[in-house]
Amino acid sequence: MRIKKHPILEFKTGKIVKFTFDGRELEGHEGETIAAALHAAGIRTMRESGHLHRPRGLFCNIGNCSSCLMVVNGEPNVRVCVERLREGMNVETQKGKGELK
Amino acid sequence: MNKTADYVIIGGGVIGCSIAYNLAKKGAKNIVLIEKKYLTSGATGRCGAGVRMQFGTETNCLLAKNSIEMFENLEEELGYQDSIEFKQGGYLLLAYTEKMVEQFHKNLGVQHKLGIPSRWVTPEESKEIVPHLNTQGLLGATFCGKDGHCNPFKTTDAYAKAAERLGVEIMTYTEVKQLLAQDGRITGVETDKGVIETPVVVLCAGSYSRDLAATIDIDLPITPERHQILVTEPVEMMQGPMVMSFYHGLYCQQVPHGSFVMGLGDPNEPKEYNFNGSWQFLHEMAAKATFLLPPLANLRVVRQWAGLYDLTPDRQQILGSVPGFEGVHLAAGFSGHGFMIAPMTGKLMAEHILGEETSLPISMFDFSRFARGELFVEPSVV
Amino acid sequence: MRQIEIAIVGGGPAGLAAALNASKLGAQVILIDRNDYLGGQLIKQTHRFFGSKQQRASERGIDIALELANEVMANEKIEVLTEATALGHYEDGVLLVEQAGKIMAIKPERFIVATGGAEKTLLFPNNDLPGVYGAGAVQTLVNVFGVKPGKRVLMVGAGNIGVIVSYQLLQAGVEVAAIIEGAPRIGAYWVHAAKVVRAGVPIYTRHTILRAEGEGEVKGAVIAQLDDNWQPIPGTEREIEADVICLSVGLTPLTELLWQAGCQMTFVPELGGNVPFRNEQLETSVPGLYVAGDVSGIEEASAAMMEGALAGINAAASLGYTSDTLTADRQNVLDQLAGLRSGPVGEKIRKGLAQCSL
Repeated sequence: MRIKKHPILEFKTGKIVKFTFDGRELEGHEGETIAAALHAAGIRTMRESGHLHRPRGLFCNIGNCSSCLMVVNGEPNVRVCVERLREGMNVETQKGKGELK
Repeated sequence: MNKTADYVIIGGGVIGCSIAYNLAKKGAKNIVLIEKKYLTSGATGRCGAGVRMQFGTETNCLLAKNSIEMFENLEEELGYQDSIEFKQGGYLLLAYTEKMVEQFHKNLGVQHKLGIPSRWVTPEESKEIVPHLNTQGLLGATFCGKDGHCNPFKTTDAYAKAAERLGVEIMTYTEVKQLLAQDGRITGVETDKGVIETPVVVLCAGSYSRDLAATIDIDLPITPERHQILVTEPVEMMQGPMVMSFYHGLYCQQVPHGSFVMGLGDPNEPKEYNFNGSWQFLHEMAAKATFLLPPLANLRVVRQWAGLYDLTPDRQQILGSVPGFEGVHLAAGFSGHGFMIAPMTGKLMAEHILGEETSLPISMFDFSRFARGELFVEPSVV
Repeated sequence: MRQIEIAIVGGGPAGLAAALNASKLGAQVILIDRNDYLGGQLIKQTHRFFGSKQQRASERGIDIALELANEVMANEKIEVLTEATALGHYEDGVLLVEQAGKIMAIKPERFIVATGGAEKTLLFPNNDLPGVYGAGAVQTLVNVFGVKPGKRVLMVGAGNIGVIVSYQLLQAGVEVAAIIEGAPRIGAYWVHAAKVVRAGVPIYTRHTILRAEGEGEVKGAVIAQLDDNWQPIPGTEREIEADVICLSVGLTPLTELLWQAGCQMTFVPELGGNVPFRNEQLETSVPGLYVAGDVSGIEEASAAMMEGALAGINAAASLGYTSDTLTADRQNVLDQLAGLRSGPVGEKIRKGLAQCSL
């Protein structure tokens, strides 16, 4: 959900790019964070915890807390709250600790 | 607070707690264990906690083999409700020079005589065991699937809790200032909380054993040497064995939690009580580990720390009594491989202290070997 | 090995002010930040600041960030390293920094830590569900990226951040169901609180959250009234429909680098947690290591800028740099800081600082 109109802010956004989330094709703005692009598409669940398999989302949004770790282009444990969106990124829900390849 | 005890054990690492448990199990009473900070605050809590049978001398092989068999059943033996996280993923010891190949084959000979299930593996077989291993320059390796890794905090906790259930009193945040002796006989220890009178002191305080022994004019040839370790973020399990290279002076293990724990041996480490990590270690460790195990380059380091080896001239522990001095027993100078032999060491020391015949011979580890010039060299240590 | 006069970690208000003030006296500075931009958390602060003209009152954080960042980027005495992480400060005085997969050893003569703070969380069942956010997280999402966290928000905490973020959510077109506050009084300045109250948002003081509701994501929350001992009063539970729960329960200093560097630390609840001991120069127990901003105790951005200026001036002056107005400049900053911390509003900070002075 994007903000359509704001009384004091104008949002400068990058060009529209395509990326995939768990195989689904989505669009976002280049240069915004992956977390922001997912939220804009209404997606708030980013990973499954390791022990109790509970859903986890964004918490701090500035790279401190490790709540939003996802698999991006095959690499696990990417903090999507600070990782910028690029054309063609493959973003996946991380289950557990992530596999190192 | 002045009190008396039949036995005072100094040092709350895995060795001290194992000795305390074994003494109490044999029926000894009135045992006090003194630790200047918290249990595992010294070398135990800072060690790599690898556990292996693959040594080069028969005595060490036996100590380690017996200990591993004890680790396998330790939770049951100690009535521990938690887990010591013993992971038997093996040890892969890498050989890079002809001399190493020769030595490893010699070691295998010693190990096989004692029934240790180790074997020679080719570089190709090494890669099957650790698929992400870079085999460049590798001539071969030895592998023993019974080797592995434990959680040093929980192992010590298990011993301490079992010892306490058997009546051992554990005093943490209590520092021994000096040993008290008269006419060649121990009479007690002076702590920052008062004097404890005792006829028997067991010294297992790592490097600090040297300083404490000096208070009764015993000169232990123990030198503290800093060693450093780092731990990475966790990922799903991908590496079964501990990978160890004497050539690179490196070991690297994935613990059950998923983190990689790794360390380096560096001859230039300061020989003093220095617990500060260095940036050179972080740099060198990262370079060497990512050469040997390339995918690890994508892992974040979450922490680095340092601990002290209690180094002796032959890198072997000192076990036993002090000739001409009554009531002092030593279990110190483990030189970086104390954790893995703690179960058997505790048992042997308890037997020795109570004057029983020891289950394995320990005379080659006695304090007098330095005076006799009979150093006991172990070829396979980092 | 890079030699430099002053290294600063953290490019938020404190770090930027430190860099500008140190370089103004003539010192060569390296400024390190892990983000790919400068300004820290100022970039999401769209409200007007309080205080005097000198403290940039009535300006918005977002504008101050831009102005300071531009000034720093244009300053040839300041080298800026972004997307760079400070790994540690070692006993030989070396600062290890990682940037783009490369490790750099930098040896600064003086070192200023301005790493800021992190949001605290609150214990309640389901506090890990997607839809539970720190208030600052939501502020970043809304004000920096123009994206809504959900449709209807329950804000937990009626301090300045909770109330300001609630108002900014309203500006963004997000509904705010209620603001709850455990204390008997609203902590925010009344100017801010009045705006949300006028917009029809109820503020329930002496209330807490008992649990978040929802399978998979937040669908609502159960709140309850508290008695004078901060215990929930049975029978006062009520359900709030909301798909976002925002926690605005304070910040805690990000002190990892200080612990690692061996600074003497102490727990001061008034300052948000563990903080370093420091002298009036803002130098810690490690000689040559200075602190500024939230890392030395949670305050507001204006105080962070003042502390940054002070640390920058002191670090440069200790290297022998000086100016005709040095003493007056330093006194001016000290006076402003004293002003910010004066009166009943600053009482908590004053009490906190008294516990960590060297």
